Amino acid sequence: MDLTEQVENELCQTGIEELDVMLGGGVPTGSTVLVVGSSGSGKTTLCMQYLINGARRGERGVFFTITEPLFKLTKNMEGFDFYDKQLIESGMVNLIDLRIISERLGLDTEKYTVEDAAALLDVLKDIADELNVKRLVIDSITALCYRLQTKEMIRDFIFKLGSSLAAMKCTTFLTSEVPPRVFQYSQYGIEEFIADGIIFLGDVERKGDLIRTFQVIKLRGQAHSRTKLAMSISSRNGVELAPLLKSRE
Amino acid sequence: MANTLIDSLKERISKAITVNQSVGIVLPGNNYSDLIQAFFEYVQSKPEDAWVYVTITKPYENIVKQFGNISEVRNIKFIDCISRAAGISTVDPNCIFIESPTMLEKLGLEIINIFKEVDEKVNKYLLLDSLSTLIIYNDPEIVTEFFYHLANKSRARNIHTISLAIEEEEVDRYLNKLIYLNDKILKVRDSFI
Repeated sequence: MDLTEQVENELCQTGIEELDVMLGGGVPTGSTVLVVGSSGSGKTTLCMQYLINGARRGERGVFFTITEPLFKLTKNMEGFDFYDKQLIESGMVNLIDLRIISERLGLDTEKYTVEDAAALLDVLKDIADELNVKRLVIDSITALCYRLQTKEMIRDFIFKLGSSLAAMKCTTFLTSEVPPRVFQYSQYGIEEFIADGIIFLGDVERKGDLIRTFQVIKLRGQAHSRTKLAMSISSRNGVELAPLLKSRE
Repeated sequence: MANTLIDSLKERISKAITVNQSVGIVLPGNNYSDLIQAFFEYVQSKPEDAWVYVTITKPYENIVKQFGNISEVRNIKFIDCISRAAGISTVDPNCIFIESPTMLEKLGLEIINIFKEVDEKVNKYLLLDSLSTLIIYNDPEIVTEFFYHLANKSRARNIHTISLAIEEEEVDRYLNKLIYLNDKILKVRDSFI
């Protein structure tokens, strides 16, 4: 195996050019990364672009949504040039409504017991294994944690999920919802300690306008830049990053 | 008479931009339209070159109204930073509309994205219209930082830049600082036109 192949196997390229540069090539394969941001910060778009870019490289992916129904998700994504319906139809990117799975499993829609959580975890692992996915997204882990009743359950769930997926060499992005303008990584204060990486999507105000920002807070096992960047989301290019102008911030 | 003077302006721009990587043009407000006309005529006379015109001064729609066929000229793309902020919702495939002139990072990205699609061998030019209006919408320090970034990116990608500065006493201090980052300064005087 030559060095390039080795790097390709060990790092999962997001396909977002500037991000991969920041990460020294990509996210270590098998990592669990928390994508943190308030409503409208671009978490879902970033994660979908990560899956689609992976599918283009031949890596199958799965997107579990809890926060919005599939028809809304696909309608929103169809506005982006990177979104390729063909990849969804061919099964390279699988979109699954986790609420429907929960219903089919007969789980309580509001609060999970320890057994419910274990059953859900098994289903997630089985789906990932059966589809042989290399990239997985849960949007959002906050909504899932809401149903887990204790901090111990949350810790246990994320830890076991991450460990199982890492063993499958599957790189996972979990979105985490936080209130706007608050520098915190999760609602429950646990998720960030179990995750291998944290990407923080925020904003800065400039003359009353909000400029999106992007920052890699941590990524275990990989030297990375911690610079705060400006993030742009456009229908043409999806997520793009540029140096943030810092004067008078 | 007017045509002769516009021709002279075209020649000055042409010479300056061919020799230098970046050119700053300082002009009194009442010469603005003549300069833009000279510029568009110059662009049309060089169909083999690729241009990006960034407008912070006038909405794209107004430029098209004033200079007619410019929207059909194939070697120029526009980036309009003020229409959306002014509530104008025009859509045109030849123009990228940015939400606000404060979104300088987005502007920088869009400029580079357009040039990425241009063949490497083609001469690439950028016109920034204008530094003076950017300073109206942003703090001068951040415009300076933006301009440094833009100048460095442009040099790295061999993009020639022209930046306009309309003379106004209140912003002269900042404009002087900015405009002198260019390799060459052209000062257009009332007497010239």
